[in-house]
Amino acid sequence: MTKINSIYIIDDDAITLFGIKKLLRRTVECNNMYEFKNGKLALNAIMHQIELGQSIPDVIFLDINMPIMDGWEFLNEFLKLPIDKKIIINIVTSSIDPCDKRRWMEYKAITKHYLEFKNKPIFSIDLEDIKRIYLAS
Amino acid sequence: MKTDTLTTHSFLIKQLPTATAFIDTNFKLIYASDKWIEYFNLEYHASIDKYLFDLFVEYDEEWENCLKNCFKGSTEQGLQSKKNDIGEEKWFEWSNVPWYDEQENIIGVIIKTEDVTSRITSELKLEKLEDLFKEQAEISKVGTWEYNLITEEIIWSDMTKKIHEVSKNYKPNIETAINFYKQGHSRNTVAMLVHNGIKKGESWNTKSQIITKKGKVKWVISAGKPLYKNGKITRLIGTFQDISKEVQAEIKTKESEQLLRTLIDNLPLNVYIKDTESKKILVNKAECDYLGKSHPKELIGKSDADIYNKDIASISRDEDLHVMKTKKPILAKRTVNIKKDGKSTSFLTSKIPWLDINNQSQGIIGISIDITDLIQKEDQLRDLINVTAIQNKKLINFAHIVSHNLRSHTANFSMLLDFLINEKEEDEKTRIMDMLSHASDNLMDTLENLNEVVDISTNVNLEKKPIGLNEQITKVEQSLAAFLHKNQAKITNHIANDINVKAIPAYMESIILNLMTNAVKYRHADRDPHIILSARILEDRTTIFSIQDNGLGIDLKKYGKKLFGMYKTFHNNTDARGIGLYLVKNQIEAMGGNIVATSEVDKGSTFSVYFNDKD
Repeated sequence: MTKINSIYIIDDDAITLFGIKKLLRRTVECNNMYEFKNGKLALNAIMHQIELGQSIPDVIFLDINMPIMDGWEFLNEFLKLPIDKKIIINIVTSSIDPCDKRRWMEYKAITKHYLEFKNKPIFSIDLEDIKRIYLAS
Repeated sequence: MKTDTLTTHSFLIKQLPTATAFIDTNFKLIYASDKWIEYFNLEYHASIDKYLFDLFVEYDEEWENCLKNCFKGSTEQGLQSKKNDIGEEKWFEWSNVPWYDEQENIIGVIIKTEDVTSRITSELKLEKLEDLFKEQAEISKVGTWEYNLITEEIIWSDMTKKIHEVSKNYKPNIETAINFYKQGHSRNTVAMLVHNGIKKGESWNTKSQIITKKGKVKWVISAGKPLYKNGKITRLIGTFQDISKEVQAEIKTKESEQLLRTLIDNLPLNVYIKDTESKKILVNKAECDYLGKSHPKELIGKSDADIYNKDIASISRDEDLHVMKTKKPILAKRTVNIKKDGKSTSFLTSKIPWLDINNQSQGIIGISIDITDLIQKEDQLRDLINVTAIQNKKLINFAHIVSHNLRSHTANFSMLLDFLINEKEEDEKTRIMDMLSHASDNLMDTLENLNEVVDISTNVNLEKKPIGLNEQITKVEQSLAAFLHKNQAKITNHIANDINVKAIPAYMESIILNLMTNAVKYRHADRDPHIILSARILEDRTTIFSIQDNGLGIDLKKYGKKLFGMYKTFHNNTDARGIGLYLVKNQIEAMGGNIVATSEVDKGSTFSVYFNDKD
C-alpha cells in the first residue's frame, strides 16, 4: 500500500467527505488525513503549519462551492504561499459549468503544483491522483 | 475841316450802343465804339490808329482773309467763340461790311460784333436735353403721348409707337388708342381713367396690358395728367412704359417663390431662416404647427427668447452665433426644445450658415426633425432590453443553480449506491443507507427551495394590497416567539402605527420573517441580540423599512456581490441554507422594490427595504 504523509480534504458536504475518505482508504495508507468545511479553515491550517515549520499536505482534495471561502478563493491565496514542494491538488466538483473548467486551466498554467479537475461522482481514486513517483523530487 | 469831321465821327461812333469798329484798308483801327473796346477788353486811346491784329494776342488768319474780301466789296457774317482772359468761352456773332466814302470807294471795313454767349449756351443746352431725353426714352422704354381735347389729335412719341409696334407715321385717335388695351379689365380701367381725366381733372398711373399691332401682349404702365388753359382742360399728357420684362421677371420670381413655399411647407421637417439677430425671417408650415401658430406672420421677427424658455433660447442663440462666426454647419445634433408652456420636444437639428454673395454670414438656415416619438420608442425599447437582460441573467443563474444543486445530489446518490453495491460489511451498509436517506432529504429541501424561487418568478400577477407594517411585524414576532425567547432577543420598534406599504401579503411575511430570523441567527457570541426596527417615507412616497441588528456583521467589500446570491453562506452556522436572502431579494424585486445592506464586521448589519408604492 502506498504511503502518503498528509492529505487535506476541503468540502462542506458530509457525504462527499465520507466518500473521498472511504475511497482513499482503499488505495493509500495515511495517518494524517484532515477535513475542512471551507477554504478559509484549510488555508489557516496550512499557514499555521508553515509558521511552525511543520510539513504541509502532499495531496489536497478541493471542492469549489463552499461558504466563507470557496475553492477558487482558496487556490488564489494558496498559490501565493512560499511552498517549495510540488503538491497534488484535485479539484472535486459537481459543477459542469465550462467557466469552472476554464478557470482550472488558467490556474494550471500558472502554478508549479499538479492541479487536476475531477467531476463528481467519483467512484475511485487512482494512484496518480495521490502520487507522482516519476516526477517527485 | 477834315479833322473836325473825323473828331465828330469819332465822338459819335464812340457812343454807339453796339460794338462797332472801323478799320481802313491798312487794317488800322480808325473808330471804335466803347462797347467794342469793352468787348475785347482793350484800352481806347491805346487802340485807335493801331494795326488791328496787334491788338489781339492771337493772330486770326481767317479774319484777315475775311476782311480782305470785304475790301473787295463783299459782306461777311459769322459766329465765333473766343476764350477771354479768365478762360470763359464767349460767343460772338459778327458781320463785316465794306466802308464806302461819298464816291462809293471802299476805304475800309465796318466791323459789328454782338455777344451771343447766353443765347448760344441755352441753345446748346436744349440740344443736349433733347438728346438726353431721347436716349432716356430708349433706355427706360418710356414713351410720351399728348391728347389735344380741342383738335382731338393724339401725338405719340417714337417710343410710344415702338411699344405699340406701329410705324413711325401711324396716327392714332382716342378710340384706336384705347382699343390697343386688352379687352376686359385693362381696357375698361384705362377708358375710365381717361374719362375721369377729362371730366374731373384726375391724374392716373396704372398697370395694364395692351395687345400690339403685331398681336403681342405687353404689360405697360400708362400715366396721364390734364393740362389747363384759362381754367379749362385743353390737353392730356402722359407717359407710356413697357414693363413686360419686369412683370415677367416678377411672375417668374413669384412662381419660384411659390414653388419653394410649396416645397418647404410640405416637408415633414421644421424649416426656418434666421437673421444675424437670430430673429426668424422665414418659417415653414411644420414650424408654425409645432409652435401652434396659424400663420408664419405670427413668427416672423420673433427670436428664440420669445418662444422658448431662457436656457433653451440661450443655447440656441450660442449655436446660431457659432454657425455664423465659423460659417460651418451644425449637422444632425440632438437637441431638446422646451416651449414656454413647458412642453418638451426632442429634435435632430441642423443649422447651416446663410452667406451673402460676399461670403458674409447673414443668418442661418435651420432644419429640425421631431424625434420625440422615436426617442420615446427607443427608451421603451431600452427599458425592455434591460428588463429582458435582467430576466435572462436571472434565468441563466437559476438554471445554473438548478443544474449544480441537483447534480451535486445525484452525484452523491451515484457514489453512495456504488459503495452500497460493493459493501460487504453490514455496519457499513447501514451507515451508507443512512447517508442515502440524508441525501434524499437534502434533495427534497433543495427542490422545495427551487420551487419557492420559481413561484416568485412565475406569480407575477399576485396583487399588491396596503398592509400595516406594524401589524405584519407583530404577526411575525408571534410566530417566532419561541425562537426569539430562546435567543434572549430584544426588539425595539420605532415604526409609527399608521405606516402602510403596498405589498403582496405572503411576500411581506416572508421578507420580515427572513430578515428577523437572520438578525438573530447571526448573533454575536458576546451579546444578546438586539433588533431595531424603523421606517420612513421619502418625498416620492417610497417607504423605507429598516431592520438593524448588533450581530456578527459581514465584510461587504469581500462578500457584497454574493450577499443576495443563491446558496451563498458566509458564516459557519450549520443551519445556513443560503436561500433566505436570495428569496427576499426576489420577492422585493417582484413587487418593484429594492433592498440594500450596510454592515460592519463585529458590530452588526442593517437591511433596508424600499417599497415601491406607485405601482
